[in-house]
Amino acid sequence: MTASSDLENGGLPEQADTDGIRTRLLPFMDRFGILLVIVLIGLVMWFLQPDVFFTWRNITNIFKQTAANGMLSIGMFIVILTAGIDLSVGSVLALGMMTLAVANAGGMPWPIVLVLSPLMGIAAGFINGVGITKLRMPHPFIMTLGMLFIARGLANLISGGVPYSGLPDPVRFLGSARIYLGELDGTRLNLPVVFLATIVVYFVFWILLEHTVFGRRIYAIGGNPQAARVSGINVDRMLVAVYTICGFMAGIAGLVMAGRTNSGFPNAGQGMELEAIAAVIIGGASFFGGRGHVLGIFGGVIIMGLIKNGLNLNDVSSFWQQILIGAIIILAVFIDVLRRDLGTRH
Amino acid sequence: MKNFFGAITVIAAGFLAGVVSVASAADTIVVSMKGPGAGNPFWAAVQRGAEEKGKELGVNVVVLAPPTESDVAAQISQIEDQLAKGVKGIVIAPTDPNALAPVIDEAIADGVPVVFIDTKGTNAGVTYIGTDNQAGAALAAKHICDNVAKGSDVAILQGIVTQSTGKARADGSHEGLMACGLNIVAEQTGEWDRAKGLAVMENIITANPNIKAVFASNDNMGLGAIEALKSANMLDQVFLVGFDANPDAAESVLAGEMAATVAQNPYNMGAIGVESVLTLMKGGKLAPVIDTGTVLVDKAIAADYK
Repeated sequence: MTASSDLENGGLPEQADTDGIRTRLLPFMDRFGILLVIVLIGLVMWFLQPDVFFTWRNITNIFKQTAANGMLSIGMFIVILTAGIDLSVGSVLALGMMTLAVANAGGMPWPIVLVLSPLMGIAAGFINGVGITKLRMPHPFIMTLGMLFIARGLANLISGGVPYSGLPDPVRFLGSARIYLGELDGTRLNLPVVFLATIVVYFVFWILLEHTVFGRRIYAIGGNPQAARVSGINVDRMLVAVYTICGFMAGIAGLVMAGRTNSGFPNAGQGMELEAIAAVIIGGASFFGGRGHVLGIFGGVIIMGLIKNGLNLNDVSSFWQQILIGAIIILAVFIDVLRRDLGTRH
Repeated sequence: MKNFFGAITVIAAGFLAGVVSVASAADTIVVSMKGPGAGNPFWAAVQRGAEEKGKELGVNVVVLAPPTESDVAAQISQIEDQLAKGVKGIVIAPTDPNALAPVIDEAIADGVPVVFIDTKGTNAGVTYIGTDNQAGAALAAKHICDNVAKGSDVAILQGIVTQSTGKARADGSHEGLMACGLNIVAEQTGEWDRAKGLAVMENIITANPNIKAVFASNDNMGLGAIEALKSANMLDQVFLVGFDANPDAAESVLAGEMAATVAQNPYNMGAIGVESVLTLMKGGKLAPVIDTGTVLVDKAIAADYK
């Protein structure tokens, strides 16, 4: 109430106050506000399931369950930074996973099996990038929608539409291995490798985006492609690189999922492109490009995982989970709209 | 003072928990279905069987499902979360047996007993409670034998035979139709799909205009085949038996188009599933396979399956 009246009178007496918000609080909230949201959701979940939620096992479960989406989302994020979209990541995940599983069943040695999923991801992403730039598709939506069908079809084709299971341990390492940390009050503390891997990946992307020329150019393209072009950035080459990286991350997600399930199944990743987009949007990125940061995306991924986990623990129907995630997407963007209002009013 | 706050917190938590319909995990059995009961009569019957049996035996039964039958990752997460919660028994219809195997191994390693319903998993030593599909297909074949003259041309619409259900239904019907001296002129796959069932049936009747009976490995393909027979004006000369007894098929049987279909007993899957996992929880033993039975659904009882 008071906040909105402050806004409406653009207020003389409150002038100093809103200035303070603009210059100090807003940038801070922009970056770290999502962590507050996570803590808040965590507290509610803890309150609902005091014996279960804050156990080591449950927390590590959340990380295991969000890892594949985390890998997809960070790739999706850099695409969305360029004001693009990649609808194919769920299918590319399945393609990587099935290639890996079929190759393994065909008796290929594990070092080759291990790299197949990321390689398929790179190939699909590269084709996406080249298609968008060289075939001059009117929007990345078109090219990646096409790839969504092609990759899913290929995944079904190479596997005959049936699952393959039984992968060697080195291939499963990323998705399923656990590091034994010790014992605490009688519970064995195992840290999923995939959690460490997620942290490393996000750290690398943070360096890439915020501390390299490459990263600054990605932001520049999203902010204003014409200006980026005029200032000498090879936008086409940058876009090919960005979509290739996104494909690569989808391939990594395929490797994670294969390890987690000890198999390749052709339905894998269906709808996961939308979950990744949701995480990126909840994480504060803008569809118009050039806005958002790595920590926010990590937060978006964790929020989606927390909600699913919390509702599972409370035995809430999965239909409600879909509804709630939909509502959160809308709410997250609405909060962002309000925040922008606050930031730009004079 | 501390106790007072503790009590308040517990009461408040209990109240909130009640709002989202939670019960304590002590002695809870989780029934994990492939798809939600809402909107699918098969899973609704599994759920009813499980819940009513739970009430009868005085155990707490929680029924869960991923939002769609293809959402394998969601089912894995649900089982992980229930294990974290300390659930004591698991009854599961795996969306993908291979993909669910690791988390089921995790449950077994935790000492939580598991049984499969509807779909057999790959984990060794876990009891499967479900339809003997081969026996069900043989039941359908016998019904065809009883209604069609010996030596007639008949066809089988197969499901996906690389899957165990598809193979069992293909084998059961093949053996049954051969045994009573019918002439199988075509055995082709419609991949469980209505449109593909239609297309395959069109080809079969073009090549075999004297066909007298068809066994469709599921109702979807059977209903597709009926469309093909209708447009070829052959419906009254062909005796068609489907499988699954889904509501559309029941309507079709009542309308006199499909001759009969075979019903699984999903209620039994839920009920026997809960009963069996409770046996394991009490330290008992189970047979490796428990048949939940099949019923031939003809015009006389089709109304029950609408």
